[in-house]
Amino acid sequence: MGALLWRAALAAILVCGIGLLPWLSRTDPALTVLKARSADRDATPEVLAAIRAQLGLQEGPLRLLGHWLAGLPRGDAGRSWISGADVLPGVLEALGASLLLMLVALAAALVTAAGVCARTLYLGARRRLEGRPAGGSGSAVLAALPEFLTASVLATVVGVQWGWLPALGWYGPQWTVLPALALGLPAGAVLGRLLDDRLPAAFAEPWALAAAARGLPGRSIARKALRRCVPGLLPNLGLFVVGLTGGSVAVEQIFDIPGLGRTTLQAAIAQDLPVLQAGTLVLVALAAAVTGATRLAARRLIGPALRDGALHTLHRPSPPARGILPLAYGLVLSVVLLLGLPRDPLALDTASRLRPPSTAHPFGTDALGRDVLARVAHGALDTLLLALAISAIALTAGVLLGLLPRLSGPLVDTVNAVPPVLAALLVAAVWGSGPTTPVFAVAVVAWAPLAAHTSALLRQERATLHLTATRALGAGPGYLLRSELLPAVLPPVARHALLRLPGVALALASLGFLGLGAQPPSPEWGLLLAENQPYAERAPWAVLAPATVLAVLGALAVTAAGGVRRPGPRPWPRSRRTRRADPDAGEPPAVRAELVDAG
Amino acid sequence: MRFLRRLRPLRRPRPPRFLAAFLLTPLLAGCFASSGGDDGAGSGADDGSRLRVALAFPPAENLSPHGADATILSRLGVTEGLTALDANGTAAPALAASWRREDDRTWLFTLREAVFQDGSDVTPAAVAASLTRATEAEPPPAALSGVTLTAKAAGGTGVRVTTAAPDPVLPLRLSSPGLGVLAPKAYGKKGAVDPVGTATGPFALTEVTGATAAALDRFDDYWGGRAQASGVDVRFIADGTARANALRTGQVDLAEAIPVAQAATLAGDTRRETATTRTTSLLLNAKSGVFKDPALRAAARAAVDTSVLAQGVYEGHADAGAGLYGPAVTWAEGKRVQPAGRAKAGSPGGASLTLATYDNRPELPEVAQVLKQQLEKAGFKVKLEVREYSRLESDALAGRFDAFVGARNSLLDTGDPVSVLAGDFTCDGGYNLALLCDKAVDRAVAAAQTVADTGERQDAVLAAEAAILRTDAVVPLVHQRVITGVAAGVGGALLDPYERTLVGAGTRR
Repeated sequence: MGALLWRAALAAILVCGIGLLPWLSRTDPALTVLKARSADRDATPEVLAAIRAQLGLQEGPLRLLGHWLAGLPRGDAGRSWISGADVLPGVLEALGASLLLMLVALAAALVTAAGVCARTLYLGARRRLEGRPAGGSGSAVLAALPEFLTASVLATVVGVQWGWLPALGWYGPQWTVLPALALGLPAGAVLGRLLDDRLPAAFAEPWALAAAARGLPGRSIARKALRRCVPGLLPNLGLFVVGLTGGSVAVEQIFDIPGLGRTTLQAAIAQDLPVLQAGTLVLVALAAAVTGATRLAARRLIGPALRDGALHTLHRPSPPARGILPLAYGLVLSVVLLLGLPRDPLALDTASRLRPPSTAHPFGTDALGRDVLARVAHGALDTLLLALAISAIALTAGVLLGLLPRLSGPLVDTVNAVPPVLAALLVAAVWGSGPTTPVFAVAVVAWAPLAAHTSALLRQERATLHLTATRALGAGPGYLLRSELLPAVLPPVARHALLRLPGVALALASLGFLGLGAQPPSPEWGLLLAENQPYAERAPWAVLAPATVLAVLGALAVTAAGGVRRPGPRPWPRSRRTRRADPDAGEPPAVRAELVDAG
Repeated sequence: MRFLRRLRPLRRPRPPRFLAAFLLTPLLAGCFASSGGDDGAGSGADDGSRLRVALAFPPAENLSPHGADATILSRLGVTEGLTALDANGTAAPALAASWRREDDRTWLFTLREAVFQDGSDVTPAAVAASLTRATEAEPPPAALSGVTLTAKAAGGTGVRVTTAAPDPVLPLRLSSPGLGVLAPKAYGKKGAVDPVGTATGPFALTEVTGATAAALDRFDDYWGGRAQASGVDVRFIADGTARANALRTGQVDLAEAIPVAQAATLAGDTRRETATTRTTSLLLNAKSGVFKDPALRAAARAAVDTSVLAQGVYEGHADAGAGLYGPAVTWAEGKRVQPAGRAKAGSPGGASLTLATYDNRPELPEVAQVLKQQLEKAGFKVKLEVREYSRLESDALAGRFDAFVGARNSLLDTGDPVSVLAGDFTCDGGYNLALLCDKAVDRAVAAAQTVADTGERQDAVLAAEAAILRTDAVVPLVHQRVITGVAAGVGGALLDPYERTLVGAGTRR
């Protein structure tokens, strides 16, 4: 009940925030509405006054909000300020298209995630995981792919040049394939990566050993391991469901899909408040429903175990063998930096625009004839520092709030349902547009998936046997948090944060048009990708180079983060050190916990 | 819960899966966009196949004929006004066969014999009522801003239009798409206007699917003869790349406004270029900051190399800036006056300035970056500010930036070359981004506004243009060309410098 109230309060705050947006940010809605209706029309005082009168703006934000809210119970979400049409049918229609797109994208994501985990599942089912280096480069690369890039490539190559599937439109099942792939590949890579992170531990649990000893087929063990790991990911899956429904603007644009992302973006720019409020409210409601569904699913999957505190802790039995991959990725990045830094990233030469890679320009040139290598290298520092700072803020906030699931659960859903542009507008309105605004505007949404992840892990961790044992031995909540819960939860969440680093860099760039974030001609990576997007077909190198470097960075982060593990020797359980010394130590901590329990 | 679970039979009979799929189909169909009318491929029983058109700007106001959506209606051959613009920028007969000026403030238009798409006759009373409704619209159509106009039926074929102040360009004004004539049936209560099946053009709207698609059928009783295409299926595709892709995959026959970046992906014979009246200029803040000094404005003008912009940024799909009016304004070329008495260029000495532009037109940020380099070469220090247009305008008008790069339609909605000068460069101008207030300019513009004769008015306009350019507050950069994608085998597309027509009675495939 409390959670429900909190959820409703958040939705109310959000709707009120949107209702006050133009007044907070001091951007005249009459002007933005006029420009949305007719870009060429001059904003003379008479025209603005006519629009103000038409929209009833002189009544003030509170009155307007009151009218809008009063209509809601009757199913009347007001009329669009731009078109004057009823808001609700339009928003629901867009929601329909977006939901369908999301469902197909989800299917694509699940297939991708299955592909990412296939190796671990295969090896785990045959109990051959021990000592193998963790994979993950491939999925990290996929996860770093900007949606718009995948979408452009799919549309031009598969749609236009091969003609296999329609390149744009939204008229039937075959039209859903390409956009769903563009959305599903990166989402599936993230989900698969998170799942793959936990599977080895599940395979190392005693039941798996027992099942194998009893002669259960590997397939069945793999299925049970999945069932064991999936609940920890369900909240994140839920976030993806809502995020894909409301936030796939780039893909909707490239494939011309009349979805909710475009509707809310246009409404946010034009300050078409009724549409924006209705669209956001629909998304928030969807988020609540999805959360309910994921919670139900988690309960069905491992409910009794959660209730009885009969879980084992899920940690990889032994650190995976460190490969040379991180070194290789690091080397690639440093070579790019070393070669690029002496070059001039700003020197324009329109005569040599869009040149393919050559010895003079190893990564080719962009639309203004600038050296792409130089821009990538010079942008690296800015991009990385900013993205790392945001990721660190998001990680801290995510973990802290994730520790308070009752408070943060509904907050996560609500924040995640807010279209990113709207979040940025709200932040800019409250915060003013200073140099820290873009950081804050991205961080304000970036913490949500990390908090969801933390909560989910925490929930399982709290239900573990060794925790019960520790508690029984008289450990206080502070000790439990410090020595048991946080060390268990932090590493996977930190790896998750690193996995999302490229996404943060891209999100920063997407705020540019609001006058936030990097401005041209800065070679910041997100901006680099955005400004070269229109030329993706003619000069693929100009987008592929920054995208590849971003992907290599993602792979580096993920493979290097293999080392972000449960830290140092703990006072408890005792048997640990001796086992660790044993080179063949295969038993997971869970087994140890059980030994203690039995003892 | 557990108790309930135990009560449930162990195995429920499952309905066959395909049944579920069947049940889902209608549900899913609701989630797809309707394709807007019949399939374009079907040529139907009668002659002439349907045209498939991709337009760039989705209707913003449910195709209201009084706002910007009027251009869509006009481009699709749905609505017509009393007059039209011909290639030379003068008024040509449309629904009015002829007109004459009775006195300073009164014009008499003689209607031709025509029928509305709902079957009723185009009578003077209907036309007068339609124009009256346009004047009452809130906000009024752009062509009528600042104009008070009354229209009355006069006899069996005449419509008398009276303006409060003398208006020498009234016939030009009435060619604006925002003043299209609709049947009485179109006008509902509370200002609602429905253009479906109520206009007079060669094509009648039959169905509008939100902001995604529209379907039109040929109007057989069109006064100008039956159209060749049996109908038009319109899709509104906002993304330029998507529009180009639609043309390349054969989904549409005509795609308007292909972005420069995509032009090279179209085959040469499907790419048609039309010079437009749109001029991209660099406006220098003459009121405050660095460019208050005319010598520095002159230095900035001298630093800018417009041919680099036309060739480098616009890839040759634009003409280097010649004046405020580009080659699309055909009469300007021969009559242009060179500005005399310009200030001598001073030395910038590292003066720093902020150059603002918007990204709604993708080429503008690129133009700004090239300008930055050119200005820095000349000794300025430049900081760029790129935003979405509606978040930039008020700051620009308030003089927060030293320089502004923008694209502007030099003939506006009225087709009259003077109004843009009055709005953009006079002390009282409502869109004076250069914040210019110069007595000589005001005088020259005021002089041009009073001239009625077309030729003399054009001379006066170009004299005013020279007066404005003399101040160096505006540097014309390029005159844009619009690229229309026309599929092979499609003929008769109306490519128009004023961007008011596209599909007409003679368009076919």
